[in-house]
Amino acid sequence: MNGIIEAKSLFKTYRRGREEIHALKNVDFQVNKGEFVSIIGPSGSGKTALLNVLGCLDVPSHGSLRLNGTETNGLKESDLVKVRRENIGFVFQQFYLMPTLTARENIELPLLFSKKNGNKNRIDDVLQMVGLSDRGDHLPSQLSGGEMQRVAIGRALINDPRIILADEPTGNLDSATSQMIFDLFRDLNRKGLTLVIVTHNLDLARQAQKMYTLRDGQIVGCEDLTCVLGRSDIKVQQEVV
Amino acid sequence: MNFLTLAAKNLLRRRGRTFLTVLGVAIAITVLFSLLSLNSGYEKELTKEMGSLGVHILAVPKGCPYEAASLILHGGVIPKYLTATDLKNVSSIEGIGLATPMLMQQFIRQDAKTGKDVPHVVFGIKIDEVRELKPWWKVQGRYFTDEESNVMLVGRGLADKENLTVGSILPAGPFKNFTIIGILDRTGDQDDQFHFVPLAEAQRVFNKTGMLTTIAVKVEDLSQIEKVSEEMEKIPDIQVVTMTQIMGTIMNLAGSARSLLLTVIIIALIISAFGIINTLLMSVNERTREFGMMKAIGASGLDIGKMVLAETVFITIAGGAIGTVTAIVGSSLIEGFVKGMLPFAPRGTMVSLSPELIGFAMAFSVILGLICGLYPAFISSRLSPMEAIRGGVE
Repeated sequence: MNGIIEAKSLFKTYRRGREEIHALKNVDFQVNKGEFVSIIGPSGSGKTALLNVLGCLDVPSHGSLRLNGTETNGLKESDLVKVRRENIGFVFQQFYLMPTLTARENIELPLLFSKKNGNKNRIDDVLQMVGLSDRGDHLPSQLSGGEMQRVAIGRALINDPRIILADEPTGNLDSATSQMIFDLFRDLNRKGLTLVIVTHNLDLARQAQKMYTLRDGQIVGCEDLTCVLGRSDIKVQQEVV
Repeated sequence: MNFLTLAAKNLLRRRGRTFLTVLGVAIAITVLFSLLSLNSGYEKELTKEMGSLGVHILAVPKGCPYEAASLILHGGVIPKYLTATDLKNVSSIEGIGLATPMLMQQFIRQDAKTGKDVPHVVFGIKIDEVRELKPWWKVQGRYFTDEESNVMLVGRGLADKENLTVGSILPAGPFKNFTIIGILDRTGDQDDQFHFVPLAEAQRVFNKTGMLTTIAVKVEDLSQIEKVSEEMEKIPDIQVVTMTQIMGTIMNLAGSARSLLLTVIIIALIISAFGIINTLLMSVNERTREFGMMKAIGASGLDIGKMVLAETVFITIAGGAIGTVTAIVGSSLIEGFVKGMLPFAPRGTMVSLSPELIGFAMAFSVILGLICGLYPAFISSRLSPMEAIRGGVE
């Protein structure tokens, strides 16, 4: 295997009182460098659980996960922080912007944690990349939903990650704005960034190169969509059991 | 941007709550700062006042406790007496600049307005000698001479309370028919409440001919106090009390008042500390999702803990600064309150402000912040990012 994300036999079980919830059941999942992958599935199918495990926000109950060649299984929290910092940018449905920080400061926030403070040019570049060059000094309350999500994407990009993981990034946006966000994702992908996006929106999901379907904690389908995107290396739909 | 900017901006999100927490700390620091400044000021002012009294040594009858000396300063009565021989012996000691005899007595008179019995203190004095000891005395009317009879000086406080004016004649009591010939200008100390009559008159009225309560001594050279007091100790019947000893006694008496204040402060600080911890824990609980997001974008537990701790220290520094300024600005108010609780309050201001004290109050605020912030910081740093994002932390 030579994927940037290589997950093998992932299990994730949560406990709620006496009840055990099997969020992931024996999931094999691979994303190659530079791929744009979407994950769809009904509510409770384990999409977010998978994304959180892939992003080292959560540890699997069983199974192995390699990120950019590093086995994450058994790593201490401090090492997982490093892996996250160096490899992953997160985008959430609720944006989670700090209301008292301007767009620029929100984007700058991860630099504070990665001790790369003060890289002003990098912040300008990112603001330009997400199309907010002229909105940098605005507070989140002065921005539209789409702009807030762009700030969140900028924040995910600032540490120059190898992978962007997005959990329902358009869940709070109208369809036109959602499309703009997806266009931005595709732009970033064209520049070589690997993207894994969880979404309910099938239309948007189909704009990725590969679309996985999750149901009851298992991957039940993987559709290669490169033909739709006009690529020559067309693959037929595969069913994964 | 750095952690301090981030912490400050976080606090501004909850202005009301931040303000109230700062206020809690400020009140605690105000009380702490006031007590400390009053404590050092009390000692300093007391020393100054003792010096300005002009009296360096008091001779009291043997067998009187040290408290007798402070009683004398207050106008209390002691049941033993010295004699003219004692005065002669004391005066003959080398190094003594002035030794003046005093007879202090109390009498009870019914208050004209309330009808209650009120104790009055009378000093029989040698006027010229006392004026030498208390050069700041000024009088409305005139001073008496040692030979006059049926004349009296009163303190301004007493005169105001009893509606006495120069020329008033006392209608009743042991000094019936005495004329007020002078009212002393306000001195701010116990003298404001006393009656003063010529020594011989006091001895006559109270039937204490030849008896003295105390001999106030002024030495020629301050460095000779120890030597002179040792010489005085040799005289039988006399107990010598230096002003240093009196101060020690007064400081002991003041100690109990200080202990009470200190207890109040400790309670105030504990309440304030729990208030801060509670506020921070609430804030941490409300922000679990935010902390989860921060961890997702690369923050370590230590980063989150540092941020929470920085917020706490901000609160306590602000509280410390406001508290210190309030204590300085409101010092006269607090001083008035504290003076009422002390057994012997000096005339001048008791508040003593020093850069060291301000530094201590601020350092204390920071330490308070660090202590209070530690637990919430620990809790927030231990949040699992996943649990935090789901907001599932208890």
